[in-house]
Amino acid sequence: MSGLQRGLGWLAVASLTAGIVMALGVAPREATQGNVQRIMYVHVPAILVAYLAFAVVLVASVIYLWRRAAGADRLAHASAEVGVVFTGINIATGSIWGKPTWGTWWTWDARLTSASIMFVIYLGYLLLRAMIEDRERGARFAAVLGIVAALDIPLVHFSVYWWRTLHQPSTLLRPGPAPMDPTFVVALTINLVAFALLYAYFLARRVRLLEREEQVLA
Amino acid sequence: MPDNWSFVFAAYVLAALVLGAYWRRLGRRERELTSKGASTAPSETSPRKDCAGKAGARTGGASRP
Repeated sequence: MSGLQRGLGWLAVASLTAGIVMALGVAPREATQGNVQRIMYVHVPAILVAYLAFAVVLVASVIYLWRRAAGADRLAHASAEVGVVFTGINIATGSIWGKPTWGTWWTWDARLTSASIMFVIYLGYLLLRAMIEDRERGARFAAVLGIVAALDIPLVHFSVYWWRTLHQPSTLLRPGPAPMDPTFVVALTINLVAFALLYAYFLARRVRLLEREEQVLA
Repeated sequence: MPDNWSFVFAAYVLAALVLGAYWRRLGRRERELTSKGASTAPSETSPRKDCAGKAGARTGGASRP
């Protein structure tokens, strides 16, 4: 592991610690939902970082198809894998949040369904990569899927506006200011930065691993 | 509404477990590659140069029982 990766890892750990302190200690109790609303500080950053990861897959896939750059292919592969991890966390924590607030672990709501479809699509992307033995061919097919799959990102994000859903509208990435007290916004932002740093750390390590896998297999 | 702290902790612990499991997976894969790389890469002190004869060198230096 390089010094830069190690530094990024420690930065992620420090910011995650600060995020947990803010989320469980400093941020006030929400008036309507009570303390269970604190799940938001994990749930929201997880999906925003997953969007970022899948946007990186999109850009890297376009670059791969255009320039046939092996580095872009590795970046897309690594980012998809990390994105799936964060999407899984988002869905699982959302389910835990749903039980006390909606009275159910799961419902086929537009947001939940579209997020699950996104999770399955990118799992399929990783399976596709694992199944095709010809590296060049696998990378080409995966790049096409990486571009098509990105169409689901706006579908997930805007599902709460386009359909009638149980899920509340977006807290961040919405027109106008966030509908929260600044203390909530600060706690959420710190956790978002922490998750983004963790994403960057995992991404750097996974890209390096893919490089080494190719060297060892060559 | 009751506070439901158990749900809050369940969510945080679950997220920590998933992230920890992925971190461990990356570490395990790194160690596997390091050992694989070490076993396939030719080294200056390999038996091929030090002990093995010409036949050993022709077969890649692998010692056979």
